[in-house]
Amino acid sequence: MKCVSVLKKLVVGAALLGLVSCGGGKKDSDGEASGGSESGFARSKTLYLAGSQWGDPNTFNPIAESWQAAWPVGDKFNLMYETILTYNSLDGKFEPLLGTLVSRDNDKVVVDLNPKAMWSDGQPVTSTDVKFVFELGRRFPGAATAFAIDFISEIKVETVDGVERLSFMVDKTKRNNPLVILDHLQAIRIVPSHVFEKLLADNGNDLSAVQKLKIDKDPVVSGPYNIEHSSNERIVIKRRDDYWGNEAIYGGKLPAPEYIIHPIYKNNDHFAIALQQGKLDASQTFMPRIWLKKKDGVSTWYDEAPYFVPGAMPMLLINTTKAPLNDPQYRRAMAAAISYADIKELAVSGYAPDVQPGLIMNQGLEGKYFNADDAKEFGVAYDPAKARAILADAGYKSVYKRGDKDSTLDYMTDKAGNKLPVLSITVPAGWSDWEAMVQIAVKGLRAAGMDVREGPVDASLYWPALPSGNFDLIMHKPAASVTPSLPWNRFESVMSSRNWVPVGGDNKMNENQGRYNSPKDKGYNPKVDELLKKIPTLDKEEDLIAAYRELNKIFMQDQPALPLCYLPEQFYEFSSKAWKGWPTSANPYAPPLLPWVGASTKILWNLQPVK
Amino acid sequence: MLKQYPTLRFVLMRAGWYFLTFLVAVTINFFLPRLGKNNPVDIIMGKAATGLSNEDARKKEEKYLQEFGLAKVGKDGQLLRDAEGKPMKAGRLEQFGNYIKMCLMGDLGTSFQKYPKKVVDVIKEAVPWTIALQLPTILFGWIVGNILGALAAYRRGVFDKVFFPFALILSSFPFFVFGMLLVYYFAVLLPWFPAMGGYANSVMPSFSMAFFSSAAYHYVLPFFSIFLILAGGQAIGMRSMGIYELGTDYIKYAKWLGLKEGKILTYLFRNAMLPQITGLALSLGTMIGGALITEMIFSYPGLGMAMLTAIQNNDYPMIQGCTLIVTVSVLIANFTVDILIGFLDPRVKAGLQMGKGV
Repeated sequence: MKCVSVLKKLVVGAALLGLVSCGGGKKDSDGEASGGSESGFARSKTLYLAGSQWGDPNTFNPIAESWQAAWPVGDKFNLMYETILTYNSLDGKFEPLLGTLVSRDNDKVVVDLNPKAMWSDGQPVTSTDVKFVFELGRRFPGAATAFAIDFISEIKVETVDGVERLSFMVDKTKRNNPLVILDHLQAIRIVPSHVFEKLLADNGNDLSAVQKLKIDKDPVVSGPYNIEHSSNERIVIKRRDDYWGNEAIYGGKLPAPEYIIHPIYKNNDHFAIALQQGKLDASQTFMPRIWLKKKDGVSTWYDEAPYFVPGAMPMLLINTTKAPLNDPQYRRAMAAAISYADIKELAVSGYAPDVQPGLIMNQGLEGKYFNADDAKEFGVAYDPAKARAILADAGYKSVYKRGDKDSTLDYMTDKAGNKLPVLSITVPAGWSDWEAMVQIAVKGLRAAGMDVREGPVDASLYWPALPSGNFDLIMHKPAASVTPSLPWNRFESVMSSRNWVPVGGDNKMNENQGRYNSPKDKGYNPKVDELLKKIPTLDKEEDLIAAYRELNKIFMQDQPALPLCYLPEQFYEFSSKAWKGWPTSANPYAPPLLPWVGASTKILWNLQPVK
Repeated sequence: MLKQYPTLRFVLMRAGWYFLTFLVAVTINFFLPRLGKNNPVDIIMGKAATGLSNEDARKKEEKYLQEFGLAKVGKDGQLLRDAEGKPMKAGRLEQFGNYIKMCLMGDLGTSFQKYPKKVVDVIKEAVPWTIALQLPTILFGWIVGNILGALAAYRRGVFDKVFFPFALILSSFPFFVFGMLLVYYFAVLLPWFPAMGGYANSVMPSFSMAFFSSAAYHYVLPFFSIFLILAGGQAIGMRSMGIYELGTDYIKYAKWLGLKEGKILTYLFRNAMLPQITGLALSLGTMIGGALITEMIFSYPGLGMAMLTAIQNNDYPMIQGCTLIVTVSVLIANFTVDILIGFLDPRVKAGLQMGKGV
């Protein structure tokens, strides 16, 4: 009997607990609807944004690596630490933040620091802070900003009428590239040197030790918000009402939201659900068939297709050192065999304009470099018959299981009749939009008689495969964010032989992972590297157009990669249920990015609570 | 030795075996993640090296190798290099020695992927949620399932005819399908419950009524997504065990003696429960590993997701830390059951008293 009575008690207990939790639930549900309880964050003062932080936050240390630092510290986020300039990807203009762009030429990039810029501890933001960050790489190899010292030989400072004028001198011997200096000025966040010099001194001048600090308790920042709370559930930042820029940039206005909360979701669907339920105000995640979510208040930049502004170009990089992929004709046949329209419609819900041959988009800021006649003459568009014709001309034969080309493809032979290996497209397993693109590409390639298969691998194998060149074809999105150096940056990422090393051993390449255009090869085309070197130093529009035209022509003829579609830099989605005043194509006062990225930070000063 | 204390001897013997198992498990935990060819620094470099020159990328890679303890470091704090100038990788045995030393000092190391976060901190943040979600669900699911199963076995008739197929359907539902259906119906179509998170974003975690009621509200769907399926499975197991026991002589005898139904049910329950207890112990032991599917469907905090990302990124210290606590908790749970069964199962008890040992 004892046993039964104990069990009875337990059951009653369980039922009670169930009741308690349901009862509590009802109360809270009402509480939430009426705008949060007193201990919490009132809806009319709190902006909910998501999509930049996926796991629990590692660190808020501004000199940690970008991939380590949590939102809103990593990347070009301007809420806590600020960059010198921001870049408006709509009009290509630089907007002032800590500094203003004065001039740029092939010798130097000149900016004036804003004399009103102030750290949260009352110290001014000065050239010492800027020099500290940019020259960290000179003091410590492996510092997060070490890449900057290859481009900047020196930062000269002069004071004109109480304003500090900084000249970033172009390093003529190493890279000679003022374009990338502009990239850095809108991407590298400035940190308080008085704080970090002291930390370095306290830690025996050991950068690694300082990088390990989380800097999440009352950090000294220059931006409009500061960290309030963080957990594996969300990150909360609070407005700094004494932010220097309110006066100096925004005419005395405060940013509207007092708090910004970034919830951390583990599942892509939750962004869509939260946006539709009004629990999230903006997000930057891929949501298929967004037009169905319009009725629940989810809006995008354009009201209709393609909904987003294109900025990035996911593509298949080709290992050009391996037969038959070392044959440009084979690569061109591949480009003709893939149905880009299917990829656009089926893999990315039509969120992009039609892809054009070449590495330049036919619209946006780079649209002026696109030449439609060249694309027609030198490029290949989707044309299965042409794919077969190119292959036949080059001597490739497809062998089918039952002889006729409607049966299963068995293998392919080259000119000499040798059997060619099965080619595999490496793609990280579980990245569903990429996997869909690869699926469609494989379908087209096989239909044209090329023996290609999908090769989904774990992300832990994908990342090492990319720089080592250990792939046949691989999915990649080079130059993923829109920076001042586009489309040069994209060409450089795909075609540059600057660091060319063969596949094998510990050899790694961080651009041109397909090993295109080997300088040791007799077929080496020096024109490519010449153009890549020249373009950043060109300042006349017609010279740039001519240079890009030539480079794109070579790309189309050699086809070292297969661009599959255009995608936005960010999937900018918002809901006007709690906050209104978001920029759209009808009111394009800021680029379509979440309000903490670059020039879009000003959205915060333009939002108004609905209630 | 200890012949006159068979129970103590039994406990000590078991403890000895468990300690050995623990050592083997710890060793496997160390070597298993390192079997693959890819190393964690390569994975990080894939993301961190974009746009770097080969020279800068090499410097960065060496810095990571040194910080993560994957390369040999000389007395002066500089990397030791081979003839070609490449850093010498730290040997497995050396790393193993470090790992054991750190384990003994209660330090599970620093995560690579969540650098510079300590593994212990990640676990500390996640485990309370995991236990809060899993412990009650497993216990209640087990208790309710077993009671219903025993009832169904004993009563048969209409109750069983309705209950059994229902339980069968429930228990054969995959967790993720059931969870997603719950989200769709009760969070999207009828927005009665929140679809995700451990508590509302508008409250701060604190010892306040607002926080606890919000946490309880967010608890409902994840709880039922596991509870119902678990209870269904337990009920089916218990029902068949019960039916088997019903046919045994002692139950028939008890019925013929005219004992009360409650008394017979107690007998039935005690005997049918033995395998169920083992099952309970196993699931309590593995629960620390987190309910990955539930965490993903409800964006619920917990250890499952931390473990998944650690495995995907070859984050050795994090994998080791997670598998270590899973190992320890499984062993503790099993040990407890072993001892419990020794007392509960008259056959084991009889065997012990006869001095045969186990």
